[in-house]
Amino acid sequence: MPVKPVYNDFFGPFGGRYVAEVLRAPLDELEAAFKSAMADPAFLDELALVQKEYIGRPTPMLHARNASKILGGAQIYVKLEGLANTGAHKINNAVGQILLARRMGKKRIIAETGAGQHGVATAAVCAKFGFPCTVYMGEVDIARQRPNVYLMELYGAQVVSVKSGSRTLKDAVNEALRDWAGSFADTHYLLGSALGPSPFPDMVREFQAVIGREVVEQTRGLDVAAMIACVGGGSNSIGFFEPFIDAKTPRLIGVEAGGRGPGLGENAVRMGGDARPGVVQGYKSYFLLDDDGQVQDTHSVSAGLDYAGIGPQLAYLGQTGRVEFASALDTEVIDAVKFFARNEGVVFALESAHAGAVAIKLAPTLPKDKALVINMSGRGDKDIFISAKIITPEPWIGFLRREVETYDAGKK
Amino acid sequence: MKASLMTHMVAGYPDYETSLETARALAAGGASYLEIQFPFSDPSADGPAIQAACTEALAAGFRVEDGWRLVETIRKECPAVPVFLMSYASIVVTKGVEGFAARARQAGVSGLIIPDLAPGADEGLYEAGKKHGLAVVPVIVPSVPSGRLEAILALKPEWVYTAIRAGITGTHTTLTPELKAFLANLNARTKVLAGFGIDSAQQVRDLRDSAHTVVVGSALVRIVAEAFQKGGKALVGREVEAKVRELVG
Ligand SMILES: Cc1ncc(COP(=O)(O)O)c(C=O)c1O
Repeated sequence: MPVKPVYNDFFGPFGGRYVAEVLRAPLDELEAAFKSAMADPAFLDELALVQKEYIGRPTPMLHARNASKILGGAQIYVKLEGLANTGAHKINNAVGQILLARRMGKKRIIAETGAGQHGVATAAVCAKFGFPCTVYMGEVDIARQRPNVYLMELYGAQVVSVKSGSRTLKDAVNEALRDWAGSFADTHYLLGSALGPSPFPDMVREFQAVIGREVVEQTRGLDVAAMIACVGGGSNSIGFFEPFIDAKTPRLIGVEAGGRGPGLGENAVRMGGDARPGVVQGYKSYFLLDDDGQVQDTHSVSAGLDYAGIGPQLAYLGQTGRVEFASALDTEVIDAVKFFARNEGVVFALESAHAGAVAIKLAPTLPKDKALVINMSGRGDKDIFISAKIITPEPWIGFLRREVETYDAGKK
Repeated sequence: MKASLMTHMVAGYPDYETSLETARALAAGGASYLEIQFPFSDPSADGPAIQAACTEALAAGFRVEDGWRLVETIRKECPAVPVFLMSYASIVVTKGVEGFAARARQAGVSGLIIPDLAPGADEGLYEAGKKHGLAVVPVIVPSVPSGRLEAILALKPEWVYTAIRAGITGTHTTLTPELKAFLANLNARTKVLAGFGIDSAQQVRDLRDSAHTVVVGSALVRIVAEAFQKGGKALVGREVEAKVRELVG
C-alpha cells in the first residue's frame, strides 16, 4: 500500500505558504524538521508514550444507548476526546509540536489562543517539558475567558493581552506572527489549528490523526454511516476524519457555527455561507471577507468556533464533496448540551455540541443497525461561565454576586 | 545632496481628507516617492503605529475605492512624485490580481508592494505587473538565504524593498556595517528601498549611500497621530511637512 505523504502544502487550490519573506526561512526549517521527525521511529515512539502517559490515550468511545433509544434511529457513539488531559483535543497537537520544538533545539514557545483551550494545552506542555511560554490572547477574549487565563498562568505561562484590530483570535494570530518574525532563531510558534501557512495544516492534522486512528479500532464491527465533528479552524475534525478521507464511506460531516442565524457577522459559516476564497494569515482558503477583502467579525456562542477562516484541507474536501458541511445555531447547541448531559451524563464543550446538535437531527433518519460517531472534541467544564448563565441564569448570577460580596467583606 | 526618501502613509487615516492632506505635505516636504498603504484588517507585517492607523481608517469607513481616489488626486496634484501602493494579499486577491494591477496602473501607481505575495507564492501578481507596466516590488530581509535572493533577482525586479530588521516595523533600528554592506551590494544590482525602523535624519544620512532610497514609515504615522490629536488636519499638514524636510536634510 502506498504511504500517504505527511506533507502536502496545497490541497487542490487551497493551502500554501503566503507569508512575508522573513517567515519563509523558519517555515522551511519547520517543514524539514517535521518531515524528518515523522520518519523517525524514536520520535514516534516518544510521542506515543506521552500520548499514553500524559494525555491519557486512548480516549474512550461511548455507546450512547439512552440517546440512541430516545432518538429512535442510528446507534450514537461518542468519542470522548474531552477526557484527554486539559479537557480537549488541543493537547494532541500541543504535545506533538512541543516534542518537535525540542528536537529542533528551540528554547521558547509562543502561541495564540481564542477561547483559551489551545493556550491552556500549550501552557501545560510547556510546563511539563520546561519551556518558557508566551500566549497571545485578544483583550476581548481575556475579558470573557478568565478561567482559562487563570489556568495558563497557573501553568506558568505569560498571557499577553492583544489590543490591536478586533482584539480577538485573529489578532492574537497576527501578534504571534509578529513575535515570531523577530524571534524564530530560538522560538517555536505552536499554532493551534489546522490552518496557517504550510506546514502547519499538515502538521496539525498528523498530530490530531491519533483520534481517527483510535476510532478505526473502536468501531470495528460497527456499520458506521456517518462521522460528525465541529469545525473551527478544523483541527479536531481533520484528525477525526483523517483515516477515512480516502475511502468513500462513511459520510464525513463538519459542523460550523450557525450563531444567531444568517447574515455577515452573525455566524462563522465559511462553507456554503457568505464566505469567499481568499488569502489571509498565510494560507488560501475560504474566509468571511467583505468585497474589499477585509476580514469580517464572526459570532458564535462557542469561542472556539468563532474564527473567519477554515483550514485549507477542509475547504478542499468541502469542494470535492468528501466532507459535507452543516451548521448549528447557538440555541440548538445549548439544547444539545442539555440533551447529552441529562441522558448520557456527559457534558459536551459548546464547540463539540455543534456536532451533537447535528447528530440529534440525523440519527432518527438512519436505521437502528447503523452507527453514527460524534467527536466530542472537548468537555464542557470550561464553558461554565457561559453556559450556566444561559441555562440557569438567576441562581448563577446570584452565586457570582455572593462570591464577590464575600470577597469584598473579607477584605474589609 | 538631499537623500532620496520614500515616505509611508495609510490611506484614509485618520480620515480621508486628512490622509490627502498628509500626502500633500509629504510631497511638499521633499519626499521623492510616496508609499501609500491601503489598510487591511489584519496587517500582520506592521508594527503598532501602522496597525492602529489601519484599524482606525477602516473604522472611519475606508474602502478600496477611496484609496484609488486618493492616489488619483495626489497624482494629479503632484505628478512629479511617483506613488507606490502597499497592501496585503487579501485585498489584491479579493479584487482579482489582474484587475487590481490594471486599476492601480490606471490610477497612476508606479509600483506594488505586497509583502505576503512573495515571488513563487504571488497568485500571478508578478505577471500582472509586467503586463500592465507596473513594478512589483519584492520585500526581502537581510537574512534571506543567497539561493532565494538569486531566485528573486532572476525576476529582474526594478526595485527591491529590504526590511532591514527582522521582525516588524516601528521600532528604532541599529545600522551595522554588515547591514550597510549587504544593502550596497544589492544596490549595485537593483534599486534598493531600505526601511523598517528608520525615524531620524541621522539614520537617513547614514543609509543613503547604501540604498537607492530610504523608507520612513511608522515615525511619520506617529506624527500624523499626534498632530491630529492636538490640532486636526491643519497641524498634521504642517508637522508632517516639517518632519520630512528634517529627514531629507
Ligand atoms: C473543545 C474544542 N473543540 C473544537 C474547537 C475548534 O477548533 P478546531 O476546529 O481546530 O478543532 C476548539 C477550539 O478552541 C475547542 O476548544
